[in-house]
Amino acid sequence: MVAADVNKWLGSNHILRGVDMSVEAGEIVCVLGPSGSGKSTLLRCINGLESIESGVISVDGDRVGFKTHRGQLYEHTEREAARMRRRIGMVFQHFNLFNHMTALQNVTYGPRHVLGISRAEANKLGLDALNKVGLGLKKDSYPAQLSGGQQQRVAIARALAMKPQLMLFDEPTSALDPELVGDVLAVMKRVAEEGMTMIIVTHEIAFAREVADRVVFMDEGRIIESGTAAEVLDNPTNERTANFLRHVK
Amino acid sequence: MSVQDGALMNMQAAAEAPLTTSRQAPGQSGHAAPDKAKKRIPYGQWAAGALILATLGAFAWSQAANEKLDWPSVAQFMFHPAILKGITVTLELAVFSMLISVVLAFGVALMCQSRNRVASAVGKLYVWFFRGVPLLVQILIWFNLAVLYPTILGRDTNELISGFTAGLCALSLAESGYMAEIIRGGILAVNKGQTEAGLSIGLTRGQALRRIVLPQTIRVIIPPTGNQFIGLLKASSLVSAIGGSDLLTQTQLVYGQNFKIVPLLIVATVWYLVLVSVASVGQYFLERRFNPEGVPARLTIRGFFTRRPTGQQQLRKAGQP
Repeated sequence: MVAADVNKWLGSNHILRGVDMSVEAGEIVCVLGPSGSGKSTLLRCINGLESIESGVISVDGDRVGFKTHRGQLYEHTEREAARMRRRIGMVFQHFNLFNHMTALQNVTYGPRHVLGISRAEANKLGLDALNKVGLGLKKDSYPAQLSGGQQQRVAIARALAMKPQLMLFDEPTSALDPELVGDVLAVMKRVAEEGMTMIIVTHEIAFAREVADRVVFMDEGRIIESGTAAEVLDNPTNERTANFLRHVK
Repeated sequence: MSVQDGALMNMQAAAEAPLTTSRQAPGQSGHAAPDKAKKRIPYGQWAAGALILATLGAFAWSQAANEKLDWPSVAQFMFHPAILKGITVTLELAVFSMLISVVLAFGVALMCQSRNRVASAVGKLYVWFFRGVPLLVQILIWFNLAVLYPTILGRDTNELISGFTAGLCALSLAESGYMAEIIRGGILAVNKGQTEAGLSIGLTRGQALRRIVLPQTIRVIIPPTGNQFIGLLKASSLVSAIGGSDLLTQTQLVYGQNFKIVPLLIVATVWYLVLVSVASVGQYFLERRFNPEGVPARLTIRGFFTRRPTGQQQLRKAGQP
């Protein structure tokens, strides 16, 4: 994933100011920062849920939101945008499981109806994904019957079932009870160990230190600091970063 | 000792001594038997209630004894075949126009929500028109359709359009305007996150709307739809203006011949109330079916027809009482 000089305005609000960021395949990048810094917006721009006013975002060489045809840039049609989103999985802060489907149906919906996999194969795939997050027994439960941590793990399984090239996590544990956070982080660690490219917006510093290859600190729409976990978290060079970390620790 | 001191002392004593109502068995706490507070008898409420009942009773009695109301005729015509035929037609009008209008309304609601500016403009125009023109006017226009279209598909319009069919068309279209807004409200009520989750697994906006959001609107739509159905039952009476053979039309036919106007209107009133009451009860059960405790097993129309255990049954299966 490469983001170059990305700018976004919402009305008169300059949300992203010249953001430059690149993530290699298999890398785990954690994005930290105070609320309003644009971290979530950046994530949503990467998979095209939000549009950008200037700059280029590309995933695996393909530009997000636009295509080039005979040298001319065209905006993606809805279908092309959807095709792009297939390759990028996203896990939301509020889980967003499909409430009218069971856990297994949630996970198999994408493979069956978007990727066109047969029902039997999709079920097998879905069961594997649910087992991987430790919820195989809950395959026939509805989201309303699951705890927050369980719902989030199903959401992770749902994103994994699409076999994405890149996974985006938008504050995945912020809406969870402290006791349930650990389960979800453990699942995310497993996903990381299997070599997935992940961009995680989080407030969990300890998790970032353990798992992240790189940590990025954002404030007011800009990337203030970037480096390895040890560099940014233990020896922040920027004062804003140091301030923030002092409060979160 | 002043009165206030005495009151204060009483309050303190009351605070210190544990208070029980006369329901609790004495001596359970192990201490000395606590003071029992007597329940206050609401004499005032009883008196007011009695007065209201007495007034209503007097009114009811005066009506029952009123000869002019001709209760024997009311009884005579309550189950008259002409009346019963009218009830059947009223039900047909309400049910069929509700079904047709729901189908139309889903389409119109999706158009209103569409990103296609032409589609959304047309949708909004549709709603504006069919909610704006009074139902009676719409009924009359349909009945006189022959003026606009002398023949439809090669057949003489006057043959095709009867009081019933004109009424059905008018009711369906007028109702679809309101239903479209109800459905649109249901769509807006579904969490935006559902759409985003659908987008994130690679659905287009249209697919996410139709496959993820619409099924979840059913639960939100049912109460206002039930309301609208009850409204339709009553609004159908307007087809009497064009002789639509519904309950009111039949009632008017009968008293047109025997001039027993008030008794027959009472018959009609009673039957409309019965129909509306049955519909209300039906709505209650429908809502319960779509909202069992905690388990959204029937959030979709397909779910309505399957026999999955409700939340209570699932708990019982798991061994909890």
